[in-house]
Amino acid sequence: MPGVSGRGLAALALLAGIGLLAVAAALAVGSVPITVTQLLAVLTGGGDPLHRELLLSLRLPRALAAFATGGLLSLAGALMQVLLRNPLADPYVLGLSGGAAVGALGAMLLGAATFGVSGAAFAGALLSTLVVFGLAQGVGGWTPTRLLLTGVVVAAGWSAVVTFLLTLSPADQLPGMLYWLMGDLSYARSPLAAWLVLAPALLVTLPLGRGLNVLARGPLQAAALGVAVRPLEITVYVLASLLTAVAVTTAGSVGFVGLVVPHMLRLLLGNDQRLILPASVLAGGALLTLADTLARTLLAPEQLPVGVITALLGVPTFLFLLYRSR
Amino acid sequence: MACHPPKPRFVLALLLMLPALAASARVCVDDDAGRRVCLEQPAERIVALSPGATELLFNAGAGERLVGAVSFSDFPPAAKALPRVGSYKRLDMEAVLALKPDLVVAWISGNPETQVQRLEELGLTIYRSEPLRFADVADTLERFSVLAGTERTGRAAADHFRDGIAALRHRYADADPVPVFYEVWEEPLMTVNGEHLISEAIRVCGGVNVFADLPTLAPRIGKEAVIAKDPEAIVAGGMGEDNPEWLELWKRFPALTAVQRDNLFFVPPSTLQRPTPQMLEGTRLLCRHLETARARR
Repeated sequence: MPGVSGRGLAALALLAGIGLLAVAAALAVGSVPITVTQLLAVLTGGGDPLHRELLLSLRLPRALAAFATGGLLSLAGALMQVLLRNPLADPYVLGLSGGAAVGALGAMLLGAATFGVSGAAFAGALLSTLVVFGLAQGVGGWTPTRLLLTGVVVAAGWSAVVTFLLTLSPADQLPGMLYWLMGDLSYARSPLAAWLVLAPALLVTLPLGRGLNVLARGPLQAAALGVAVRPLEITVYVLASLLTAVAVTTAGSVGFVGLVVPHMLRLLLGNDQRLILPASVLAGGALLTLADTLARTLLAPEQLPVGVITALLGVPTFLFLLYRSR
Repeated sequence: MACHPPKPRFVLALLLMLPALAASARVCVDDDAGRRVCLEQPAERIVALSPGATELLFNAGAGERLVGAVSFSDFPPAAKALPRVGSYKRLDMEAVLALKPDLVVAWISGNPETQVQRLEELGLTIYRSEPLRFADVADTLERFSVLAGTERTGRAAADHFRDGIAALRHRYADADPVPVFYEVWEEPLMTVNGEHLISEAIRVCGGVNVFADLPTLAPRIGKEAVIAKDPEAIVAGGMGEDNPEWLELWKRFPALTAVQRDNLFFVPPSTLQRPTPQMLEGTRLLCRHLETARARR
């Protein structure tokens, strides 16, 4: 990777290893005990039929979906934080999850099937992106502050609509609806779409790293150094929105990962976007895979919402890193 | 030697074979989602994904064939010992699969449909249950007993329930109507509309649900709406089986007819809020309360 130091590459390799371990753990652990020998038997094409079904139909797709969702959200969060130059930015700060939730809930109220609900969530997320983008242009042109304020207010609007829809909804639809608001990987069906977006998106962001490094210091400085600020900002905005929309469509609004993972990495590795962006994908993916594995096994057969575990893992780690930082 | 009576063990073996002989037939019923559910032979390993379904299966005589249930499946007491497969809102898919059930009874409005579909895709036979009327409770008992090959028990339970409700319906057919407010929950204040099974219980007893016309099944309402309707009786469920403090709270409004006549009644929620044969008990109690209200006029 151009411009990333040896230490950076070592960090990426380490994170990739942790990611692989997380996926391996997700495959190895569950309510039904499966030994490593049995696991290997299935992975090499044999094994007990029940174990095959558990591993290949349940655990593997879910682990891959968790990894991709975590990666998408962390990358989107890292991009948003640079774009808005605000440490509190996360993938949802501009109202995207609200738009997705309104789309999904509306579709459910109208009686749409699973596929229709996912489609409506995606459409809602993109609509929210367009509304915020259009309004943030305004009369006086776009600034990060104006973008942030527009997004936060639009998000508040969506949240009111969500509350309204929840009040109207029949009780039998509430469990399905809460999923869109809380995020839950037990609903994730195919991880394919998430990976098909995550992989190219990472390739697109890598060359942007240098420009983003300069942008992080402020638009004037960036312009003075020859960075085309507007096009870069628009690319980052569109990209981050797309990543978040796909993540929300895969697993609902999983919180916390997109806010905290990029910050943790900055505390550990410094604020070089060329390193932070790929590291965010790996660390976010690993964190969410691990959290989801714990969520479904910790109190098994009782299944916890993944958000509980991401926070339980993430909050102390982050606070520790923050406390130690200068 | 030849005229020895048959050994008890032999008779026992014959008796044990009887259900096996009866069980060789394919069984089919329609579920509440309108789909036909067929089994090559009556189910031997059933997983129930709601506390209500567990209870109905026990009532239908299929309790011994239950191999898994969700949390809070506490009735009858034998249900507490069943292996758990998560909560009805979040199923532990692995636990369900590992039990190798030949029948899974899902709950349409409670289980996440995505997870139920997933189980179906993985080759499990699903019965989707949602009893909404008294008649559905009895029908469900019969259908479960067909699927489990325990028709005799199931039909008896269904008839007992039908007859019990029919007797109440007959007895209160000409009774003076009592306007009733049924309180599902205190904060937020919730009731039921006319579509709800609890509202059918109120009708059976000759009561009138004052909020029958509201559009949602379990609507949130304001205290003022209750005061405006001025029901003759207030009936509360609650979280536990004890008399809830909720009824005391209404005494702050002495203008209410229900308060003036002390028509503040409690019916244990387990006997009225779950669509199972226990509703017969709950409905009888409710009817007695409304009779008390009539006597206090």
